[in-house]
Amino acid sequence: MNGGRRVVITGCGVISSLGNTPEELYSRLAAGESAVRIMTSWGTGQAAAPVDLPEDVIRSIPRAKRRFMGRVAVLSALAGRRAADSAGLSEEEIRSERTGCVVGSTMGSTSEMDSSFRTLLTGGGIPEISPMAFFKCASHTTAFNAASLLDICGAVYSPSAACASGLQAAGIGMALISSGMQDVVLCGGADEVTPLVSGCFELMEAHASSGEGQSPDRIARPFDRKRNGLVCGEGAGILVLEEYEHARARGAKILAEIYSYATCRCPGSVSQSDSSSVLRCVRDVYRKADLTPAETDYISAHATSTIQGDRAEAVALRSVFGDSVPVSSLKGHLGHTLAASGTLEIIAVLEMMKHGTLIPTRNLEEVDPECGGLDHVRTLRACPIRRVLKNCFAFGGINSAMLFGKMD
Amino acid sequence: MTREEIVEAVNAAFEEMEIPREELTPEKEFFKDLGLDSLDMVDLMISLQRKFGVQLRQNEEIKKVRTLNDIYEFFVKLDAERNAGAGPEK
Repeated sequence: MNGGRRVVITGCGVISSLGNTPEELYSRLAAGESAVRIMTSWGTGQAAAPVDLPEDVIRSIPRAKRRFMGRVAVLSALAGRRAADSAGLSEEEIRSERTGCVVGSTMGSTSEMDSSFRTLLTGGGIPEISPMAFFKCASHTTAFNAASLLDICGAVYSPSAACASGLQAAGIGMALISSGMQDVVLCGGADEVTPLVSGCFELMEAHASSGEGQSPDRIARPFDRKRNGLVCGEGAGILVLEEYEHARARGAKILAEIYSYATCRCPGSVSQSDSSSVLRCVRDVYRKADLTPAETDYISAHATSTIQGDRAEAVALRSVFGDSVPVSSLKGHLGHTLAASGTLEIIAVLEMMKHGTLIPTRNLEEVDPECGGLDHVRTLRACPIRRVLKNCFAFGGINSAMLFGKMD
Repeated sequence: MTREEIVEAVNAAFEEMEIPREELTPEKEFFKDLGLDSLDMVDLMISLQRKFGVQLRQNEEIKKVRTLNDIYEFFVKLDAERNAGAGPEK
């Protein structure tokens, strides 16, 4: 499929607000947990879904490498190490020039940017700013720091496409392998959540506001009639992509095959992808895989709980699938983990495949009529899952879609 | 400041870099014995600037230090000059 060498997933690592292993993430999603809470420490009244990361876990990264990492790079590096471990890659295989690393984030560490600018503008100025600030704030901080922790020696790229970054990274990783440039690529996305990040979405009126007396865990409600915006989350999801024969030769456990990846731009707007461009992306990913939509068992929607975004995706999905394929979004549980969302949610789906269970969209109480006509998963559903469509859309008019599933 | 107070403040800056206190003996060289590098030294200088209220980045004397004792002596001398009314080094 897709014309080149076959690409399979042989490992995954996750750091999330609902657990730091795929198994824990799945079990807490299946239990219907939400990580969304009011961030009292921010003093802004904003809700978010943060990762509770114990200090000893952070310090498991040697200081010599950790000193170059802001929070977003720590999330990326920890997930990368877990992914490499789960794939059973030897040190020699990881350090081979045939192994690369592609990890993206919306931007560098926003908490570090915040503190550096405070020092620059209201503190001691440049003489008081650490030389490490560059490495923490750089746009490719998630990629080079994950690669550094693992001593990866191959190609390193860092796509920065906001909420599509993780899926873009997987798409690039797939291309590097199918074209023969690399045999193994760790790829995914990471983002950290700060008042600055949530505030940016508020400025664009894309952030959810809670109603009076509404519990924080009810705020993010993809496809629901009462949705009014997203809640920012954080985390990292890293996949180990590998050329099929390479994986087979070393006896690796194959979790799934990636059939195809497609990406395109919405020409009409940089702030909101429209349904016609989403439709173009979805059709393209099926054409590349030489599969038909009817061969899909589940759609892991982008659906972040924004009014326009969910509607555009629903309209596109309805025109392709009607109500014949189950659809759900995990943003009601996890918030929107931004650059991490694509690969982090793929990791959750890999667990769903293992368990043969679809996780419903949390807080979807009354489907918005404009998001109707789909087979919305409303409760846990037993379902053999063979082929999956994963969507991600991002500011900048970036659309991306990936088809993956069991090997033929 | 007493010499003990100066030693304590300098050692605290090294502890912020996660170097255990038991390793902080006067003869230790930063690069060879404590595993630091030039970027660490810039961070260390920023920390010491804050602790001692002095600008260090353009200071030629501080660039010559190699051991912990060199730093102790630098600040002991600086403190003596301040007390003598010479003011902080520029």
